[in-house]
Amino acid sequence: MCSLWPPIDKSLYNGVWVYLERDGHKLKDVGLELLGKARELAAKLGGVEVGAVLVAAGRELAQEAIYHGADRVVLIENPELETYTPVEYAKAIATVVQKYKPEIFLIGATKRGRELAAYIANSLTTGITADCTALDVEPQTRDLHQIRPTFGGTQLAIIKTPHRRPQMASVRPGVFPKPPRDVGRVGEIVVERVEVERKTRLLARERRVEIDVDLPPVESSEVVVAGGRGLGSGEGFKLLAELAKLLGGTVGASLMAVRAGWVPHSRQIGQTGKTIRPKVYIAVGVSGAIQHIMGVMESKTIIAINPDPNAPIMKNADYAVVGDYKEIIPALLEELRKYLS
Amino acid sequence: MKFVVLTKAAVPLSSAIRIDPKTGTLVREGVPLTANVWDRDAVEFALEMRDRYGGEVVAISMAPPTGILALESLIGMGVDRAILASDRAFAGADTWATAHVLAKTIEKYVPDFDLVVTGEETIDSTTAHIGAQTASWLGVPYLYYVYNAEVRGRTLIAKRFLEDEGVDEVYELKMPAVISVLRSSQIPREVKLSRKLTAREHLQIVDNSKLGLDQDCVGLRGSPTMVVGMSPAAYPPRKRIVISGAPGEVAKKVAEVLRELGVVCAVSGLQ
Ligand SMILES: Cc1cc2nc3c(=O)[nH]c(=O)nc-3n(C[C@H](O)[C@H](O)[C@H](O)COP(=O)(O)OP(=O)(O)OC[C@H]3O[C@@H](n4cnc5c(N)ncnc54)[C@H](O)[C@@H]3O)c2cc1C
Repeated sequence: MCSLWPPIDKSLYNGVWVYLERDGHKLKDVGLELLGKARELAAKLGGVEVGAVLVAAGRELAQEAIYHGADRVVLIENPELETYTPVEYAKAIATVVQKYKPEIFLIGATKRGRELAAYIANSLTTGITADCTALDVEPQTRDLHQIRPTFGGTQLAIIKTPHRRPQMASVRPGVFPKPPRDVGRVGEIVVERVEVERKTRLLARERRVEIDVDLPPVESSEVVVAGGRGLGSGEGFKLLAELAKLLGGTVGASLMAVRAGWVPHSRQIGQTGKTIRPKVYIAVGVSGAIQHIMGVMESKTIIAINPDPNAPIMKNADYAVVGDYKEIIPALLEELRKYLS
Repeated sequence: MKFVVLTKAAVPLSSAIRIDPKTGTLVREGVPLTANVWDRDAVEFALEMRDRYGGEVVAISMAPPTGILALESLIGMGVDRAILASDRAFAGADTWATAHVLAKTIEKYVPDFDLVVTGEETIDSTTAHIGAQTASWLGVPYLYYVYNAEVRGRTLIAKRFLEDEGVDEVYELKMPAVISVLRSSQIPREVKLSRKLTAREHLQIVDNSKLGLDQDCVGLRGSPTMVVGMSPAAYPPRKRIVISGAPGEVAKKVAEVLRELGVVCAVSGLQ
């Protein structure tokens, strides 16, 4: 065994804990989603405690965490931690996790979560698996199965952290369902004061105004209409946006459409963009390269519109619609409007 | 100033990938490796800082010997020197064990570093772990998603963008520090062939006899995480119903499908 790993007694590590990220004075959904998963894992481990860690938040937020499944919430208090800074937050969280010794510690893989997760893991001399799409436990060994797609996306790897505790994993937003809010649930709120040595300071913060369509993000929409290079121009996206609106959905894009500057990167779907699981995915002018398909595999229904019946996307579709989008979409909009009026 | 760029010699997506059935890790031996695409943003970022403040840029990578190819092209871009940490014992490393080797290489060969720069994440494993883990090993502050920075005395003023929140932030970090560079935020300069041809003169290969790390703390054995199994991803089979014909007819059929799927909603239609 590696000489740099401090010996640990695994039996002293108990419970499934979650880091809850705030967005100002609100909890981000991803943390609540993880609380739901944590409850399920805790039950399989014989009814151990579900814990949550919150930094510089009020009791109302801790209470929300309890309503969503936490048995105990640790509030890290320190005026120095009011605003997020990576190294100070990571150290404070690691200090608390070290003290409470959960056997599993989960973090939402938002941009800030990704920034924190690996530092926390390193501080605790443990491993971490990024972007898990499924989690399970082996009741005998109490090992966490950290399941994530591997390179290429056709295989899932099952990863364990057999010799270290806590076992850590990050999970992207929207992977697990948000548990129901149950105001009948009770739990304990503990306040921990953690000292920090300041090395980073936030000087300014500003919301960027991006040129974007006025539609919801791709990861939270039931219907996603995506455009690719086959649209020929940014104008094509206006048609797609009209269709998306009629379907209560949003627009997404392939890498090529993003490269062309037609839509922002936040709408890119695929290996290097977002993974989505909508009810209906409509690919327009997208050829269906494997890196793109990887991001839409879990869609319930896939509809592809493409003049090339042999495009790979057509083989991966439930409905392969052969034709030019410039003819089909306007006709489709007309049909749908007729139906709606 | 001393800038270190950490780069992964990654398996290009175009090549046929192979997974070692015993360890469940990606086989990188014998595959012509190229620098992770997003590391080019990191290299450009470091080169620009060097051009502004003087000093040198050292690229460091942990890879099998074929990783030389990736480092050569970075030298061609203008990196001053490169170090390849390469040893059979390093194979199969998870991110903990990788960051361990990288941090120890930095400590030994660039002990007076001011700034370590990484790409946002790699295209073949996309964990974004290495920057934070290396910062932890080195005991220095860090920041991800940086697209612009300036040095003021011993502090770095860094601008970063959080794509999921759509927020720009400016931070001050005590140096030395580690940053990751927002992907596609730089315009990487061209590889100069004349410089690339002399790359070997600027390239050093170090193995574990030089680094002297505990064999149990590197590679597969030194990895806290272990791949214990693989399962084919189970995706719902697709119906593959072809709809073709005159656009009007096709549109009617598609509208019918959408209604059956229950996604044509009157409320949103009023927008
Ligand atoms: C490391 C790496 C990561 C990548 N990550 C991603 C990723 O995250 N997401 C992603 O999407 N790609 C990704 N790619 C790129 C991917 O390999 C493809 O190049 C890309 O998806 C192709 O985009 P496209 O389908 O829009 O364009 P094309 O492949 O050019 O396809 C255009 C399609 O439009 C059709 N078309 C043409 N005219 C019309 C018309 N009038 N009406 C309807 N259809 C029409 C054509 O028949 C064609 O099928 C990645 C590549 C690499 C190497």
